[in-house]
Amino acid sequence: MVTMTNPISLEVDLAPGAKRSLILPNPVMVASGTFGYGIEYTKVFDIQRLGGIVTKTTTLAPRRGNPPVRIAETPAGMLNSIGLQNIGITALVRDLAPVYATWKTPVVASIMGFTVGEYAEVASRLEGIEGFAGVELNLSCPNTERGGVEFGQDSEAAAEAVARVSRATTLPIIAKLTPNIADPRIVARAVVEAGADALCVGNTLQAMAMDLERRRPVIGATFAGLSGPALKPVALRQVYVVAGAVDVPVIGCGGIATARDALEFILAGASAVQIGTATFTNPLAPIEAIDGIEAYCREHEICRIGELVGAGRAPADRKPRPETVPLK
Amino acid sequence: MKTGFARVTENTRLYGDTYIMWLDSPELIQGATPGQFLMLRCADLLPGLDGAAELTGASIADDPLLGRAMSYHRIREGENGREFSILYDVVGRGTAWLARRDPGDRVYAWGPLGRGYSLPGQSGQNMLLVGGGIGIAPLLWLADEGVARGKSVVLIDGARDAKGVFPAELVPAEAEVVVTTQDGSVGRQGLVTDVFLDYYGWADQVFACGPNPMFAALSEVLTRHEGSQRARRRKPVQALLESAMGCGTGICYGCAIFDRRGNPRLVCKEGPRFELREIW
Repeated sequence: MVTMTNPISLEVDLAPGAKRSLILPNPVMVASGTFGYGIEYTKVFDIQRLGGIVTKTTTLAPRRGNPPVRIAETPAGMLNSIGLQNIGITALVRDLAPVYATWKTPVVASIMGFTVGEYAEVASRLEGIEGFAGVELNLSCPNTERGGVEFGQDSEAAAEAVARVSRATTLPIIAKLTPNIADPRIVARAVVEAGADALCVGNTLQAMAMDLERRRPVIGATFAGLSGPALKPVALRQVYVVAGAVDVPVIGCGGIATARDALEFILAGASAVQIGTATFTNPLAPIEAIDGIEAYCREHEICRIGELVGAGRAPADRKPRPETVPLK
Repeated sequence: MKTGFARVTENTRLYGDTYIMWLDSPELIQGATPGQFLMLRCADLLPGLDGAAELTGASIADDPLLGRAMSYHRIREGENGREFSILYDVVGRGTAWLARRDPGDRVYAWGPLGRGYSLPGQSGQNMLLVGGGIGIAPLLWLADEGVARGKSVVLIDGARDAKGVFPAELVPAEAEVVVTTQDGSVGRQGLVTDVFLDYYGWADQVFACGPNPMFAALSEVLTRHEGSQRARRRKPVQALLESAMGCGTGICYGCAIFDRRGNPRLVCKEGPRFELREIW
């Protein structure tokens, strides 16, 4: 009988080609908007064990968010339309960065702007601030300079936002893509070309619910984003597709609740995962996922988590598809 | 806050369509105060896990997905230490699931959560408790505590009809109960606001729990009664808000309400207890 005594390495480098690396101790991050600013859970579990924490999306000015109703339960899922309530970049840097600077776990600032200039402005405020290991661009924001089309649905605007941010900061850049698009590969390639070090695939799916008694949409803002287990198969396919189209690390996000879910995304090509809604319904979900991944590796004699990344892809899909190579 | 599986020791219909469930989990009540709450997942264990010794939050089916926020209703000494109860109306899929639990079943929960009532010190002798509908739930533990501390307690119980009135024999004998029903089938016909001022002058402090329209009506009655009296001279009215919640722990931002100044307040974390006139 073979017993594995060597420690298993769950370490992940999300920005191998960047000026500054973004090394996670394990592939389990907590998703933006589902873990507040990280400080809320310091007494719930040892948050220093997390692979990474992505903050609530922060904008240039503080935002009060949408009026109620903000959330609704749907079959095996939930809708949310919080409206980006956040404390603003000044408070994030002033009040929370000093706390993050004392943490072992990498903290990634999720940022958003309503113009490309605003993305760059918010990113520049993070430059040189101790406590941040990276920046994640939430691209699910209406672009006021382009008639309100979301950045994530407009490859040119998304690329421009990433390019401007990469000039404004030396932090590794994660671009968080939207699933509300026909072919995610187009935006994915555009933002990688523009300087994204890693991609997060993806975000909530546009959805709604109707109240039969009031005869009105359940959610105050009418439309909302679907998350939770109902979203998982959709997100898994998106990760598979995008991972085959780019050469940078992909972070899987969407309906991941357990180690098994996380491993499915890793086999599909994700280098890391983000847990979101699951933390609402099981406060210990991120920690249980880390433990479960480690147990799986031990059981299957996997020494490095990297061995599993993309290992579930069909043979023909293991290398970048031919169309990603420019034609002569 | 702790997470864990609480074991159902008793689950019965107490009155009308209202149920009481007693749960055995000393750690989920440890450190809790009246007005605090916990979140309960109201979904089955995954197939094959019924007899499993080791269960986690991931052992529960994905539907219904979200936890249900429930106030601690009362506490008692059980066979394995302190037990707590929740009082609930069957209003949807989650509470229907709760109503079908049998003694011995396990329910995944996390708590205690939020800021509960601030209990009065030496100065506040007279406690006026105002409950609308199922909002009576947290007030019983508060009444028990008040009586135990030698306070004078009046409990106004507002219900739609006789079916919704909390059984008077279950209220501590030292407390005075005032019942209002909308149809007049028991007690005074009307709303809690119709009798509120009869006791307000006597009270040192007010503790309320009920639906948002009740708080809006209470605030209106108080404003009319006190005129332009300065805020600092007003008696404190602690309002314990009911809200659907996503997480109960301040990370989803789903339960926010807007206060009088237009600022969002998280019911789960900044509340559920607010000073009435900060909100209405």
